[in-house]
Amino acid sequence: MVNGWIGRRELAKLIGVGGAAIAAGLPATVHAQGRRGTLVLGIDISDTISLDPARMAQYTPPMTLNAAYSSLVAFNAGNYVDLVPALAESWQRAPDDKALRFKLREAKFASGNPVTADDVKWTLDRVKNLKGQPALYILNIERIEVVDPRTVDLFLKEQREPVLGALASSTNGILERALVEKHGGTSAADANVADKATAWLDTNSAGAGAYRLVNWERNVQIQLVRNPHYWGGKPAYDRILIRHMSESATQLLAIQRGDIDAAFNLIPEQIATLKDNKDVRTEGLVSLDFVYMALTHSPELNKALAVQEARQAIGYAIDYDGIRDSLLGGVATRSASFFPIGMLGSTEKVTKEIGFREDLDRSRALLKKAGLPDGFEFEVSYGNAAVSGLSYGVLAQKLQADLARVGIRLKLNPMDQVNLRTQYTTGKSTSVLTFWNPAGVRQFSWATATVERVSKRLNWTPPADLVKLVRDATLEEDKAKQEALWIEYQKRMVDHANLIILFQPIYQTVVRNTVSNFPLTAAGYQVELENARP
Amino acid sequence: MTRYVVSRLITAFALVLFATLVVFLIANTVPGDPALAALGDEQASDPAAVAAFRAIYGLDLPLWEQYWRFLQRLLQGDLGVSIATRRPVLDDIVDYAPATLELATIAFFLSLAVGLPLGILAAVRRDSWVDHAARFVALVGVSAPTFWLAFVVLAIFYGHLDWAPGTGRLDPIAFPPDRITGLLLIDTALVGDWETFHDAAAHLVLPSIVLAASTLGLITRTTRAAMLEALSQDYVRVARAKGLLARVVVTGHALPNAMLPVVTLGGLAYANLLTGAVMTETVFAWPGLGRYTFRSAVAVDFPAIMAITAIVAAIFVLVNLLVDLSYALLDPRVVRK
Repeated sequence: MVNGWIGRRELAKLIGVGGAAIAAGLPATVHAQGRRGTLVLGIDISDTISLDPARMAQYTPPMTLNAAYSSLVAFNAGNYVDLVPALAESWQRAPDDKALRFKLREAKFASGNPVTADDVKWTLDRVKNLKGQPALYILNIERIEVVDPRTVDLFLKEQREPVLGALASSTNGILERALVEKHGGTSAADANVADKATAWLDTNSAGAGAYRLVNWERNVQIQLVRNPHYWGGKPAYDRILIRHMSESATQLLAIQRGDIDAAFNLIPEQIATLKDNKDVRTEGLVSLDFVYMALTHSPELNKALAVQEARQAIGYAIDYDGIRDSLLGGVATRSASFFPIGMLGSTEKVTKEIGFREDLDRSRALLKKAGLPDGFEFEVSYGNAAVSGLSYGVLAQKLQADLARVGIRLKLNPMDQVNLRTQYTTGKSTSVLTFWNPAGVRQFSWATATVERVSKRLNWTPPADLVKLVRDATLEEDKAKQEALWIEYQKRMVDHANLIILFQPIYQTVVRNTVSNFPLTAAGYQVELENARP
Repeated sequence: MTRYVVSRLITAFALVLFATLVVFLIANTVPGDPALAALGDEQASDPAAVAAFRAIYGLDLPLWEQYWRFLQRLLQGDLGVSIATRRPVLDDIVDYAPATLELATIAFFLSLAVGLPLGILAAVRRDSWVDHAARFVALVGVSAPTFWLAFVVLAIFYGHLDWAPGTGRLDPIAFPPDRITGLLLIDTALVGDWETFHDAAAHLVLPSIVLAASTLGLITRTTRAAMLEALSQDYVRVARAKGLLARVVVTGHALPNAMLPVVTLGGLAYANLLTGAVMTETVFAWPGLGRYTFRSAVAVDFPAIMAITAIVAAIFVLVNLLVDLSYALLDPRVVRK
């Protein structure tokens, strides 16, 4: 023991003391459950920039906004065509047919003050005058007038153009005027420079929703507590914690241990490992999002793609069922065109009837007709992201293999997400693999996008009669006639073949069985938190 | 001494500015447009909206003018407004820096507490099983991919053994203390909230171990090499010949002389830890600077990138200065010169 500098006994003592010191740092008991009345969600909320409804333009904030704010009207989960009353009890055309008149129900804000027509007018004026992205969805509203404390008139520029779908969005959630003004809010014409309420609204809410926002710690969590004055009854949970977890594997661990009640970002491989777990179940939701391939019309970028038959040949050469079954575990659907299933006029039946399907002979015949019997080459760009667990890189490789069967050579061009957006938005892409997710549920927004801003990105001038068809369908008030027009629109788009839909994700959320009701929705805010029940 | 410190500080400042200039020029070669990344889809397609957005952030000004504005603001302590989060970058950094500072400091002390004794032992008992074990531990620590190690540690100690709490700095149910410094251990101790202190400490254990792993390897090997060098010197032979206790020879004579390279590399390692670890922060949902830096780079968020560059450069330069100054304490020969 004297030979060495430190003896074995001392060494063992040191290790023991060190180990004990570390163990002392660990908790005696780790609390997993024992928090009844609180719902904990695990989701990546790193894209949250603000919780001010009038400035919202991201993917995850609507979940919180819908819980804290009520709008005039709403969608029930699963039905994105018919609107149901929310803060507005009923609505109809005003007697002189110039305005849409809303009758408000008796409801109170979280503060206990009543919801009045003045609050509605102030909120919508503020959205318009802040000039953020939400303002673009209510451009059709010319002005708002208060008739009496429970009646408000909306004057539209174009009477027949639907505005209710936009009003259902949480960006138009009704704010309590007095409370927001106290914190620097304004609805005046210069609101985009004068309004100072956003910082307060980021950590507090002034709404009439089922819950009240009490805190937002960036990249940590969002805390909501029950609103005692909620007009829709008493929500089942006292508190909701939306916990930031950017790594899906971490969400998997947490849901297995019961530390979270729902995990939103698990990928199919991880969900498969939970198949035999009796404590959790998987809820599926047909979304209104889709992944598509856009093809340019500019001969400068690619001569072959400028020919319609060449583009159609691409559409018939893709193995859509293979993408769904092998790459997505069978959990996806596909619309006929740039118009998701769930909207009026888009169903799986319609896709079967008029949409693209795998037909190699037809593809080869179209190539011959295009004067390209030996096929052609084109380049596709895509970002380094994944949808439903499927990365664009893998999807692109599958397309490359599919198209090679008819002689079309696809060159892969992976890019950074920001560079891709820049290239695509400025119309410099030959072809792009990307994702479309709607800001809200507006029946006409997809079609309008295809003949307006998306067409510019593809260097395409849509024919005048197609633009008129879209406009007629938007304004058509008879449901059956409108449906026929939308189907006609989709036929034209499939024929034109510049936007090929690859799949429409069915999002899978894993929920613990201690939560009996967890209604997912595709209306933009992912889940109806007010209806969640243990 | 004062003149030395002052001249070093001036050089430091110049170095920091130079670093920001280089990063600014490189960032501008990226073809991505931060305005298109930050705006929603409809606004991004409206040239007027994009132009208005770019004007707010001065993105259309000539490069030299943009950099000049950045310098002017920097000298006033204004780090600009982030394009991605729309808030002052200073607010963002004040939000995220304490989490990284706390984690980095704990991880560093952990790696010192384990690495120093391990390195000394390995040197004293050269080629014994202790030496081989120490070198193996060092190798694993340096080679193991942080992302993998983080997840393995989480899966074992949290997922299976239930010894450690989940991700984040606190439990979801815990009530965070009022912010005084932003460092949870200090804030809870100052108000005597020992339950939350315990919770915060528990959450620090796993990420600290992961972060400490690679630094541990470095410190162990450096200490070992420096100790071996010191132990082979003549004065050690003399000390042993004089009959001094082995412990005194090692800790009193050899160790102080071996500390210089360890302090140098250790300082650099600490500065490295301070600038954030993206992988560890991602897996443990730690709201720190590493993730913020990563997201700013991906979004080509110029103001945030420049501010972070300035801060990182400043940290490295200051730590180097402190290390150099510490030589005066450790090695009397430095002062005499």
